[in-house]
Amino acid sequence: MAWLLALLGLLGLLAGGPAAAQAIALDRALMLVEQPGRPPAWERAPSVRLPDDWDAGASGVRLYRLPLPAPAGVPDTALYGLYIERACSVLQVRVNGVLVHDGGSFDEPVTRNCHRPQLVAVPGTLLQAQGNVLDLRVRGYVLGEVSSRQRAGGLSPVEFGPHALMAGHHARRLVYAIRLPEVLSGALLLMGGFMFVMGWFHREQSYLAYFGALMVGWSLLLARLWVAELPVANPVTELALAALMAFITLAAVQFLMRYAGRRQQGLNLALPAQCLLMPLTLLAAGPARLYPVAGVWYVLLAAQVVAAAAYYLAAAQRQGSRQLWPMAALLGTVGTALAVEITSQQLQLDARIGLVAQLVPALAFLVLGLRLVQQYGRAFQTAEQNRAELEVRIREATAQIERNFAQLAELKVEQVTDRERKRIAADLHDDLGAKLLTIVHTSDDPRISTLAREALEEMRLSVRGLTGKPVKLADALGDWRAEVVSRLNQSGVQGEWSAPSDEEVPQTLSARAFVQTTRILREAISNIIKHSGASQCSVRCTLADGDFQLVIQDNGRGIPTELDGRLDKGHGMASMKGRAKQLQGQCLVESGPGYGTVIRLTLPLERHTTRP
Amino acid sequence: MNHILLLEDLPEIRAWLKSLVLQVFPNARITECSRVQDALLQVQTNRFELALCDLGLPDGSGTDVVAKLRDVQPEAQSVVVTIHDDDEHLFPALQAGAYGYILKEQSRELITEQLQRISQGEPPLSPSIARKVIKYFAAQARPQANAMPDVQLTERESEVLLRVAKGFTLPEIGVQLGLSRHTIADYVKQIYRKLNVSSRAEAALEAQRLGLFRR
Repeated sequence: MAWLLALLGLLGLLAGGPAAAQAIALDRALMLVEQPGRPPAWERAPSVRLPDDWDAGASGVRLYRLPLPAPAGVPDTALYGLYIERACSVLQVRVNGVLVHDGGSFDEPVTRNCHRPQLVAVPGTLLQAQGNVLDLRVRGYVLGEVSSRQRAGGLSPVEFGPHALMAGHHARRLVYAIRLPEVLSGALLLMGGFMFVMGWFHREQSYLAYFGALMVGWSLLLARLWVAELPVANPVTELALAALMAFITLAAVQFLMRYAGRRQQGLNLALPAQCLLMPLTLLAAGPARLYPVAGVWYVLLAAQVVAAAAYYLAAAQRQGSRQLWPMAALLGTVGTALAVEITSQQLQLDARIGLVAQLVPALAFLVLGLRLVQQYGRAFQTAEQNRAELEVRIREATAQIERNFAQLAELKVEQVTDRERKRIAADLHDDLGAKLLTIVHTSDDPRISTLAREALEEMRLSVRGLTGKPVKLADALGDWRAEVVSRLNQSGVQGEWSAPSDEEVPQTLSARAFVQTTRILREAISNIIKHSGASQCSVRCTLADGDFQLVIQDNGRGIPTELDGRLDKGHGMASMKGRAKQLQGQCLVESGPGYGTVIRLTLPLERHTTRP
Repeated sequence: MNHILLLEDLPEIRAWLKSLVLQVFPNARITECSRVQDALLQVQTNRFELALCDLGLPDGSGTDVVAKLRDVQPEAQSVVVTIHDDDEHLFPALQAGAYGYILKEQSRELITEQLQRISQGEPPLSPSIARKVIKYFAAQARPQANAMPDVQLTERESEVLLRVAKGFTLPEIGVQLGLSRHTIADYVKQIYRKLNVSSRAEAALEAQRLGLFRR
């Protein structure tokens, strides 16, 4: 906002340049309405004061004759200039009867130069020492036939002086009256088009589209300042310009309402209808009454825009919107600029005020447009961020769900497996166990009875391996000791057991490892009792380098070398080795006749244990 | 022994057990049952000195019979005879009041000896059962069980249990502690008794609590 004000100040400064000392202002002229086919009757022409505005009378060509003062040192070869700030709508200039300037077409479509300052070069050689005559021929329209006072026919005072000085005045005026409007028109058209398309594709941001339309409309409105040649006659152009105001009103009102967050079905119908109705009423009124009818309409349209602006500001305040004050300032600026422009026309104030004022709304629109685009960009960025966050969250949730599902499935499998194992175990006990037991106690053959008993023990161990939970190594050592010592004692073999204390063995043994080791130990003790004839047996359990080692040593006969193979089978050496292998361990048997047998079982603990 | 209850569903095994029991107690009268319901009726109507109960029976668990016998004839001895050697099956029966257990597939001589020992007051105790008993009493010793009657194990009883859990045999423990075989056997008997009493008290307390909740 601050820089906008600064720019305004700068514009004002530039517009108000110092007046030239050597220039002569001519503000009295004889005036005649041109009669086609008849020479002008200057002797009866009235004298008028410039600027002469064509408020009444008829449209057509008017002739002005001004006395041109002789420059010093005539005849000379200097170049002089005439600077005519406003000659609406097209101008021809003759000096001493010689045509020196032709502004454009005098027939329909008439060239539109109302806003364009005119610079006419006058060679010094054309001038005489006395009685120089300046003839101006102006084609224009009376006020009633145009939609704005700006384009009513008229002639401003004429400045005469050195060409360079006049050219400077002309150039400065040209910048404000023509060049800047051209630039702003282009900028508004571009940005407006862009925003319109943006709003069109994002219907929830439809205010963008309306603001774009407003900018495009305003850009067309500005074009009236600099477009000179149009392929249509003046009444059509004026009608179109008036109708353009209705379109601008539509865009402005809809923008304000939508920006306030309100969509009104009534407005959606009424405003376009108004856009149709306004040119129709203007047509019906006829080209001669264009100005007064258009004036009524302007008041009506302005009231609508003011109401919409008030509605917007009230809504923004109610919602506590952060846009309230910037928007209020912008709307105030636009409103003030428009008011200044209109008053400067009506009250014939310094033309430079009007010039600056008519550029301000366009600038304000550009600023607001940039701000809207910035807001939109920020909202877009936020939305994009939210979307990315949401995506991450969805991915996380999906992963979580998948994990949970996998866990559930695993749990389910475990439950089912556990139940099934228990069922198999119960079946084994009830059916197989009962039958084996019957064999144990009813068979007359002690060998079969023994086999059945061993089978029963095997079965029990298998079931334990199936259903059992991990066993603490310390507990396992207790179980093994009780079994080994009591069995050896019952058989009259002196047993010796050594094992690490409870504190040294915190490991846990899987049910399978426990069962397999129990079998190996049981088999080894059975062999000693049945075959070795030993009187002493020692069992040593040790832990070293993560390995569990079991050494069973007896002082018996040992396994005869020549019978190794057979004994292996008969005494279960092979099965002991196989079981050790299953546990990724090994079982070594050292034996020799006369010095007993040593069985070394080594198991890697890491594979079968979990530390608590 | 005058009157012995024999609960076993397999006829061959029942016959074999009967002959075995008769070998140990030649003058005993033996009442045979193959179902829990029959055994419960017998316990209600007849007096027994000894009951040999299988655990897995077609119409229920022998544990119920052990518990009932403990209720109605506290002086009678119950012995579990089973092929289940795991403490999950044995421990409830011991809590219900059994004074020992015999594994059925053992040889006739071994069972005969065990039966004699039990009847003379020397019940067996395996390391895994000992561990379970230790855990049970450790749980009872927690503060929230203060309402329990004073059936905590003595220091000596705990010592015996710990040694059994480590795999020492009862005679070995006797030597280690400088105690006679009889004294050790008495400790084991006390452990069984306290396990039963404590379990019953716990059950009663539990029932009372449930009753309180229902009111």
